[in-house]
Amino acid sequence: MTSLFAQIGTVAMMNIRSLPRRLWMSLAMVLASAVVVAILLAFLAMAKGFESTMNSAGSDRVAVMMREGSAAEINSVITREQVNLIEESPGIARDTEGAPLVSPELYVIVDGLKKSSATKANIPLRGINTTGMAMRGNMQLVEGRMFTAGTNELIVGTGVLREFDGFALGEEVRFGKNVWTVVGVFTTGGNVFESELWADVKVIQSHYDRGSSYQTIRAQLETPGDISGLEKTIELEPRLNLEVQTESAYFAAQGKQLEYMAIFGRVISAIMALGALAGALNTMYTSVADRAKEIATLRTLGFSNLSAFCGTMIEALVLSAAGGLLGSAAAFLFFDGLSASTLGGSFTQVVFSFEMSPDLFAQGAQLALLIGFTSGFFPAWRAARLPVIVAFRAAT
Amino acid sequence: MNDLYLIYKNMTRKPLRLFLTCFAIFIAFLIFSAVTTLKSALDSGVDLAADDRLVVVNSINFTQPLPIAYYQKVAAIEGVKEVTHLNWFGGFYQDAKNQIITMAVEPESYLRVYNEVVVIPEQKSAWLQTRQGILIGRKLAETQGWKIGDKIPLSSNIFSHKDGGHSWEFVVSGIFDGVDENYDTRYAVFHYKYFMETQTFGGDWIGWMTLVTQDPSINQQVADVIDATFANSQAETDTSTEKAFNKAFIEQIGNIGLIIFGVVFMAFFTILIVVGNTMALAVRERTGEIAVLKTLGFSAPRVFGMVLVESLLVALIGGFLGLAMGWLIIEGAKSSMAQFLPNLAMGGDIVAQAVLYMILLGLVTGLVPAYNALRLNIITAFNRS
Repeated sequence: MTSLFAQIGTVAMMNIRSLPRRLWMSLAMVLASAVVVAILLAFLAMAKGFESTMNSAGSDRVAVMMREGSAAEINSVITREQVNLIEESPGIARDTEGAPLVSPELYVIVDGLKKSSATKANIPLRGINTTGMAMRGNMQLVEGRMFTAGTNELIVGTGVLREFDGFALGEEVRFGKNVWTVVGVFTTGGNVFESELWADVKVIQSHYDRGSSYQTIRAQLETPGDISGLEKTIELEPRLNLEVQTESAYFAAQGKQLEYMAIFGRVISAIMALGALAGALNTMYTSVADRAKEIATLRTLGFSNLSAFCGTMIEALVLSAAGGLLGSAAAFLFFDGLSASTLGGSFTQVVFSFEMSPDLFAQGAQLALLIGFTSGFFPAWRAARLPVIVAFRAAT
Repeated sequence: MNDLYLIYKNMTRKPLRLFLTCFAIFIAFLIFSAVTTLKSALDSGVDLAADDRLVVVNSINFTQPLPIAYYQKVAAIEGVKEVTHLNWFGGFYQDAKNQIITMAVEPESYLRVYNEVVVIPEQKSAWLQTRQGILIGRKLAETQGWKIGDKIPLSSNIFSHKDGGHSWEFVVSGIFDGVDENYDTRYAVFHYKYFMETQTFGGDWIGWMTLVTQDPSINQQVADVIDATFANSQAETDTSTEKAFNKAFIEQIGNIGLIIFGVVFMAFFTILIVVGNTMALAVRERTGEIAVLKTLGFSAPRVFGMVLVESLLVALIGGFLGLAMGWLIIEGAKSSMAQFLPNLAMGGDIVAQAVLYMILLGLVTGLVPAYNALRLNIITAFNRS
């Protein structure tokens, strides 16, 4: 048994040491599997980055209410009366003075100049109060100060700052006839709220002619994840034509939007893997042909078929794994943290970063090894089965 | 024994390698053709927009409304030939996922501004006279199975009906065609008056306006006058050509498309490099034989040509098969994708581009070995082997 392992080890080392002889073909195989892995990771990292931007925004402790059938914040309308009714509902957390933790919010769209294309794109301007801000648990001002209620001051998310021009601290921004001053920059830990501008909800109501109406209600829940109290209130009160869901459920659904990118990426990289496989098979068959004399010599010396098989197999796996590493490293260098923005479900720009998580690397490694295994198997079979006489004849 | 036979023999000497090489090229061009077609379909929305129409939107953002009074004011501006106004309805049919592009418009001026919308006269007058009438595009009517006279309820994900609920009853009074094949008719328009009288917010506001000028050459002038007219007013406007407007909208989907296509093209070229390497190797291996051919009296240019033709042939066989497969896939996907990408078709320019890359691949991979063959010194070659 030990001698078998020793044989395999010897043959594998011989194969790998002889790689420089087949430098170009070997490099071609490394490159081919690297490309396939890089492609797969690029797509997956995009879908992943978008999804986690959305998912990390949603909290289980917060319920979101919108008008039924409106699907996204931008479409919804909610009256002051409905807000009052919700504030009385059971299941809502209250502060030390017994006031309900409810945040009625407005969500209007304004234009911003996108840096990447120098064209106008939709940015959400959220009307919010301090209760609402407290519900975004990880919200922090990184520069400047909070806006003063009742004034044309706004604070800007770091995502907006990254992808759009004209929102730097202290700058004046003009939306229609209203001029706003950027007084602060906030972060919410990389999630979708960073793609927004925040200002006093009352000021937005008056500037945008919304009377006393709102668009969404957020409420802190007494028990995280339990919206039954609110559901009951809505069911019993005909004036409440609202839909309630936890914030995490709302954003989880929106996070699925770029899932098609992951699917597209898998399809493209699977097709491309077939092409790479063809290239890798060429490399490995060339390798076996190149080493025919060696293989024949070893077999004459009493090395087993299995050692010839494993030697070739290991060579293929080493090459494809090297490709996988190269592809992952390239994908990581070029794509991890790459900032991009696209039109999200609420008809506004969502700024997100490509995210290369460990499970993606695992998927890349799997793909590389699959290419290595398949491209090694058939040539290795040939190496093991090649009759010694034929091998000698072919080599001379 | 002619040259072609020799080339054929050389190519097929290792059938497995030939197959694998062709297959890799096949895959590369399959992806190239399919992805390029997809990209051009995504871009085509911009190309179809009329260049001589102007769009007037609220300068805050196009989702912000404008007062209805602007309609008359714009109509009175010199150089404006026809103007109409539109409201986004946010419509869907039965299921919220089954979204129907629906707009509330001023009917008569709408048909004058959008002259690529073709309705037969009886249906046109029927629609103009029916308050609840809705005009449906041919492709939309076909997918939903709607016919003239059908009563259809459409729901809105934005507005509420004053009688409760979010559903409006419409009567299909006409089905319109596009003036040409490419015009996307998957939408519906209905009366602005009916919309305003039945929705809860009430009010006299419009979503945006579209207009044609007396002459496209005065577009910029007219746009400037419109924006100046409403400067510093309740709602400032932003006027641009429909083409620029659509382009900006597509840009909103953003650089992710650009990144994706960049990645795929990089991969395409890498596969070509990998394959090219194998093809070059196939010729290098035969140094000895080429020396024999030359000894037998084959002229250097003739050997050069033979090597080059061989790599060109391999590139073209794999490439054309890939292109054909790409075309088949696109044709197959056409009907199921029609809802999202109405203009999915492999254009001649894409085919031309692909053929160019095939020839380039054949030349680049063949040129160096062919040149080596041309320069090959018979004695050195024999010594080497």
